[in-house]
Amino acid sequence: MVKTQINNSDFPNFVLLTGTANEPLAMKIAKLLKSQINNPVSVFADGEIRIKIAPNLRRRHVFIIQPTCPPVNDNIIQLLLMIDAAKRASSSEVIVIMPYFGYSRQDRKEMARVPISSAVIASMIAHAGADRILTLDIHSEQEEGFIQQPWDNVYASYALAPAIKKKNLDNLVIVSPDKGGVSRATFYQGLLGASELAIVYKERDLSVNNKSEALAMVGEVKGKNVLLVDDMIDAGGTIVHAANYLKEKGAKRIFAAVTHGLFSGDALEKIGKSALEKVIVTDSVKHRNEVTKNSKIEIVSVAPLLAEAIKRIETGDSISSLIIR
Amino acid sequence: MLIFSGSSNKPLAQKIAHDLDKKLSPVEIFVFPDGEKRITLQEKVVDQTAVLIQSTNTPVDTNYMELFLMVDALKRSGAEFVNLIMPYFGYQRQDHIFRDGEGVSLEVMAKILEAIGINEIFVFDLHSIKIPEIFTIPTHNLSALPVFAQKIREQFSGREPILVSPDMGGIRRIKEISEMLNIPYVTIVKDRDLNTGSICDSQLNGEVDGRQAIIVDDMIATGDTMVYAADLLLKNGATSIFAFATHPVLAEKASKVLQESKIEKVFVTDTIEIPEDKKFAKLEILSIAKIAANALK
Repeated sequence: MVKTQINNSDFPNFVLLTGTANEPLAMKIAKLLKSQINNPVSVFADGEIRIKIAPNLRRRHVFIIQPTCPPVNDNIIQLLLMIDAAKRASSSEVIVIMPYFGYSRQDRKEMARVPISSAVIASMIAHAGADRILTLDIHSEQEEGFIQQPWDNVYASYALAPAIKKKNLDNLVIVSPDKGGVSRATFYQGLLGASELAIVYKERDLSVNNKSEALAMVGEVKGKNVLLVDDMIDAGGTIVHAANYLKEKGAKRIFAAVTHGLFSGDALEKIGKSALEKVIVTDSVKHRNEVTKNSKIEIVSVAPLLAEAIKRIETGDSISSLIIR
Repeated sequence: MLIFSGSSNKPLAQKIAHDLDKKLSPVEIFVFPDGEKRITLQEKVVDQTAVLIQSTNTPVDTNYMELFLMVDALKRSGAEFVNLIMPYFGYQRQDHIFRDGEGVSLEVMAKILEAIGINEIFVFDLHSIKIPEIFTIPTHNLSALPVFAQKIREQFSGREPILVSPDMGGIRRIKEISEMLNIPYVTIVKDRDLNTGSICDSQLNGEVDGRQAIIVDDMIATGDTMVYAADLLLKNGATSIFAFATHPVLAEKASKVLQESKIEKVFVTDTIEIPEDKKFAKLEILSIAKIAANALK
C-alpha cells in the first residue's frame, strides 16, 4: 500500500470539509492526510439545513467528503449547499469526494416515463458549483459523462483484494451475481489470480421493485470456494439468492466482497440465514451498529485509498495509476 | 393540460385539479428500502403542458428531490411546458449570506429548478418580494391575502379592528391588506439575535388600545413571533388577538405554543398540509386552491 504523506504545512492550500453522511470515514481520511476537518452543517427549527463554514477558504482547494448514502435526499441537498457555501467563500476549487453515489442505479430509462435520476443528481452537483468529482465504484462508469466536469472513479478492490487474499482461499471461483457484474468479476479474477469465473443469471421483474431471483448459471462451482463480487448490497436479495443457489450447486465456502453495504430492510436477517460465510464490505457509507457488530460482516476501510486520491488531486499526480489492473 | 402532484400536499393538488374540472394524472412514487424514490408517470405527456404541484416544506430535502425527479421525468417524456406550483418555497429564508461562511441556499434551489427545465413557477406569499428576480423564467408570487381579506370582512364586520405586522419585513404585506379592507394598521419593530435566533427586543409603532388586533404574517415557524406580538399588543391595550399567516410551517412545539397563547384564533392556508398531530383547536385552515387554479386558467 502507498504511504500517504501530505499535510497542511506542506500543502497549505487545501481544506477538508465533511457533511453528516459519513463522519467516521472523513475523520480517518483527515487523520491520514494530517489535516484538520470541519463539519459546517446544522439544522434550523423547521428542518432546513444551514451551512456555515468556519475556516478561511480564500484561494484554497476545498475537498468535501460526502457519500450520498441514506438518508439519501438529505445528504444530497446537504452536499449541494456545502458546495455553494464553499464557492461563495472564494475557494479556488471545490472537489467533491463521493465514496457512495445515491441514485446511481437509476442511470438510464429502463422503462417509459421515468427520470434518469442519477443524471439529475450529477447535474445538480455541477450547477451548485463543483469543479471535480471523485467517486468509488460508481454503479456504471458511463455516468461520468452526465456532466462536463472532471470525474474520477476509483475502485474499492484496492482495499478489498488484500482482505480477501488474507483468507488464503484455494481453488477459488469468482462469481458475478448478475449479468451486469461480469466485467467486475473478471477484474477481481485477475487481481486475485483466481482460475475460474462463473455468472449467476437473474431475472428482475421491473414491476416488482427490489425483488429478484437467481435462475441459472454459467460456470462450475462444485467443490470449490466461491467469492461473489458486487458493487453494492441494498436489501440483500441479489447476493443472498446467488449465494444460496451456489450452495445448491455444491460450492464449498462462500464469501462476498462488496463495495457499498447499505443493508436496507431485512438484509442482515437474510444474510444471517444464508449460505454466505462472510461479507466483506468497505466503509464507503456510514454503518449502523447492527452492521458493525454483525459476525458475518467484515469491514475494510477505503480511507487510505481516498486519502491517496485526494493527495494526488492536490499534487497533480496520476489518479489512474491508483487503479490496480 | 395535465396536472401532477408530488407527495407533499396531495389534498391541495386535488382541490386545484377539481377547480379546473380536471383529475390528477396518475404517477407512481415508489420508495425503495434505502430511501431512494422511483418516479413513474402513468400517462403520456408528449407535447402536453404539465402542471406539477409540490410544496417544499418539511421534509424539505426529500420534497425537493421528488420535485426534481418528477420534472426530469416530465421533460424526458416529452412534456412541452412544465408549470410548477410550489405553494410553499423551502429554503426561501436563506436568501442572502447572513454571516461569513454561509451559502445562499435559496439561489441553489432556484438554479436547479431552472436547470432541470421548469418553464414557469407559481409560488405563494414569498418571504421577500425580490425572490422572483433571481429567476430568469417567469416566476409569479401569488398571495393568500384576498382569502384573508374575505375572512376578515366576515368575522369583523361592524367592529373596528386594527391590522398588525409583527415585523418590519411584513410592511408591504400589511399595507396591501389594509388597502383591500380599508382598515388601519400598526407595525412592530422586532430584533432577532443572529446567534441564537431568538427575539431580543421589540416595540410597537401605533395605537391599539381598545381594539381587536389582527396580526398578519407570511408564515408561522416556531410561533414565537406571533406569541411575542400578541403579548405586546395586549400589554398595549388590545382587547383580543387574531392571527393570520399563509404558511403553517409549525416547527417544533408551535401548535402547543399557539394553542396555549392568548391568541383567540389562528388562521392559516393549505399551502402546507398539516399533519393531524399538529392541528389544534384554535386553528382554522383556509384554502388557496382557487387562487392557484385561477392563475393557471
